[in-house]
Amino acid sequence: MSFSPRKTALTPGSGAPKPRSKGTPDNPLAAELTRSLGPRKVLSNPSERRNYRYDAIQFGATPLAVVLPENTADVVTAVRAARAAGVPVVGRGAASGLSGGAAPALPGLVLSFTRMTRLEVFPQRREARAQAGVVTLSVTEAARPHGLIYPPDPASFRTSTIGGNLGENAGGPLCFKYGVTGDYVKGLQFVDADGDVYELTRDAYDLAGLLIGSEGTLGLITEATLRLTPPPKYTRTLLASFAEVGECAEAVSRAIATGAVPAKLEFMDAACTNAVEDYLALGLPRDAGAVLLVDTDGDDLETVEEERALVEAACREAGGTVRRAATDAEAAALWQARRSVSPALGRIRPQRMNEDIVVPRSALPEVVREIRALGDASGLPVVQFGHIGDGNLHPNILFDPRRESSEAVHDLAHRIALVAIRHGGVLSGEHGIGTMKRPFMREAVDPVTLAALWDVKRALDPAGRLNPGKILPDEDVEAHAHP
Amino acid sequence: MNHDIPVPALGPQGEVMAHAVDACVHCGFCLPACPTYALLGDEMDSPRGRIVLMKEVLEGALPLADAAPHLDRCLGCQACVTACPSGVPYGELITSFRGWSEAQRERSPLDRAKRAGILKILPAPKVFSVAARVGQYAKPLAPLLPTALRAPLDLLPERVPAMQPQPPVTLARGRRRGRVAFLAGCAQQALTPNFNAATLRVLARNGIEVVLPEGQGCCGAAALHTGAREEALRLVRQNLAAFDPEQYDAILSNAAGCGAGLKEYPVVLHGLPDEEQARAFAAKVQDISEFLAGLLHAGELEPFLPTSRPLSVAYHDACHLAHAQGVRAAPRELLRAIPGVTVVEVPEGDLCCGSAGTYNLEQPELANELGVRKARNILSTTPDLIASGNIGCHTQIGSHTRRQGSRVPVLHTVEVLDLAYRGEL
Repeated sequence: MSFSPRKTALTPGSGAPKPRSKGTPDNPLAAELTRSLGPRKVLSNPSERRNYRYDAIQFGATPLAVVLPENTADVVTAVRAARAAGVPVVGRGAASGLSGGAAPALPGLVLSFTRMTRLEVFPQRREARAQAGVVTLSVTEAARPHGLIYPPDPASFRTSTIGGNLGENAGGPLCFKYGVTGDYVKGLQFVDADGDVYELTRDAYDLAGLLIGSEGTLGLITEATLRLTPPPKYTRTLLASFAEVGECAEAVSRAIATGAVPAKLEFMDAACTNAVEDYLALGLPRDAGAVLLVDTDGDDLETVEEERALVEAACREAGGTVRRAATDAEAAALWQARRSVSPALGRIRPQRMNEDIVVPRSALPEVVREIRALGDASGLPVVQFGHIGDGNLHPNILFDPRRESSEAVHDLAHRIALVAIRHGGVLSGEHGIGTMKRPFMREAVDPVTLAALWDVKRALDPAGRLNPGKILPDEDVEAHAHP
Repeated sequence: MNHDIPVPALGPQGEVMAHAVDACVHCGFCLPACPTYALLGDEMDSPRGRIVLMKEVLEGALPLADAAPHLDRCLGCQACVTACPSGVPYGELITSFRGWSEAQRERSPLDRAKRAGILKILPAPKVFSVAARVGQYAKPLAPLLPTALRAPLDLLPERVPAMQPQPPVTLARGRRRGRVAFLAGCAQQALTPNFNAATLRVLARNGIEVVLPEGQGCCGAAALHTGAREEALRLVRQNLAAFDPEQYDAILSNAAGCGAGLKEYPVVLHGLPDEEQARAFAAKVQDISEFLAGLLHAGELEPFLPTSRPLSVAYHDACHLAHAQGVRAAPRELLRAIPGVTVVEVPEGDLCCGSAGTYNLEQPELANELGVRKARNILSTTPDLIASGNIGCHTQIGSHTRRQGSRVPVLHTVEVLDLAYRGEL
């Protein structure tokens, strides 16, 4: 069956004016692209191009041209034109990414996938085939009438696209029990640096796995076959509050040790709770040092209730107080609160350095306390939230670039990254390395492994044209991105 | 976000604009809320994109003419404000920006004449009434005319009703419980005189004395939102002189756009000597539904007569009520208080109907697409009645539902309440 997503850009026959460049292309690349793709798919005015140089964290270089492809053939044409012009190519979905991934480090071609929104659901096979520009939430919306859902649920799922999710291997609250984006990909189509098209499955060499999370540095994902699942019959939600973040982390360790497998285990500290409360006014406990938000779910109500009871007991033992969501609406509001944390932090400081570390669960209490202490000592506002059940934490350093020194911010970010590495953790759980954590890669990855990563990159993109300046530290190509 | 806006050079409105730009973290949560992004799918026609465009024009990094087409396509619906977790006051930004940039706009003489015409005719009920009557006779010619002239004719009802006199004071019925001032509004006096008549009846029935202060004029929103700042300032000050907030329990409006405009006065006068006065005024402003819901909560609202048969009412959230004023619950509570009424929610309820002040006249194609979509969404609920709290939405929805072959009545929320009091539902 075919599904037309709600946010269809430019429906055929639409009487609305199409975005188009009226000015004369001011560079040969834009001129060539306009010749081969027509003016409707190419943006070349400064006002247009300058709006394709950022993601949710960073501003990068202004692209020479922007292409809004409508199908894979358009992508091929655009990539070949960029190759002929010798300029880099950066793929972009909704640009809600949090590591600078879609912000071009160098001037080149940006491919914005927002018009590639074809989505088909195959209920018998429990599959969906989605083009890169399909908005994440619309996959579940299209699947639901067939009794199916698409579990990966990044906070930005109303905005972000499947292509972007794949590029960053996005997670979300549900990934504790159900896994991340990559776990739901059965196959994908991508275009390489030469403009050749590949159809990958997960048989033989798992090349699809290699492309997922590669942030557009190995190829441009144009379509994916996604796995759908039936939703659980029952869900129960609870909110626990703690005096400090360490207690919250202890509760999580205890809960998991009892054998409970909650669907979601998320936490936010007091600063996050207050920022969200300023936005939504839900009556969250403003004075708690940290809150934990938990869903247990499944098809057997007794087990679901039992798991919730186990989590409740663990929270109380760690010193917390527990509130159950009485209605579905209350539960939905609590999850909206959690999803809004990241942007709501803008209410505290206009800018932030966003970490995305993952640490072993056994180390959680120690790690969150160490980060809290680093923040307190730095004088900069440091807040913590994240998918604590997975050990995936998002410490954020909030700052105002006009009042606070960027060296101090960077130095603190570095020390937080080192906490994760010291406890056997990694630099990124779901947001990618991008340009944000690229400087820490040498400490996180040993030289032999780093060399192997470079070999892979050279094998698939020998000229280094795909999203240069991202992930791998590189002496030759320095990122010209500025915040 | 970071910026180099020369705030001191731009004055008090510069502060308003710089504050909004500061607050944006460019997360993109606003994108799915934006009607033009939903239609066009490009970054420049999204709130995040427009904030970047305005920032760069203010910084001098981008010529105004490059940014203008995208900024002009913004409906000002403020759905992005509701969606924004960072609290960016986008409405204040775009309004201030339009006021600041209008003087630098290069417009064709025809365009200038059209804008001046709109701003002269819209706020003058008597002139508007005459124009509407002339337009009514020109309606059959509409298909022959260019879009810019066709759009306003398409919006006119088949029959323009006679103007109704509005008493300067409407006495309370029974025990007097309060005294309010009422802003009569402009175009709606000519197009839908029953809005005000119903409002006065409903208030009187609830023991509220209603005063139409002498010397009041247009709220100024149309001028303000199209960038005619001087004209807007004149109208704002005229109303500040006419309405003395100390004399009334509340200052009421029954048009979402006007109510939002009145509440905006402190932003318009930010940094000027009469800012405090505007603050005192705005603190008293309420939409009619907010005021009546207050009576309902206090247990003081006169009970409604039950409907003759179960009625399903599709309530349409006017952007300037839901997004700009944050009034969503009150109208629904009032409608639900009528025995026999079920309020149904409209799919894509947060998406603007495309009317948005003068948008219908300035961006007829986009307005039309949104109108078609809104009418389709509303009619998909198979309602018995359509209720809304804004003249612009009323006209737009009525015109598009009729075009889709529907005869379902479109009423102001307060008209529905009035009919319920009279036992005519």
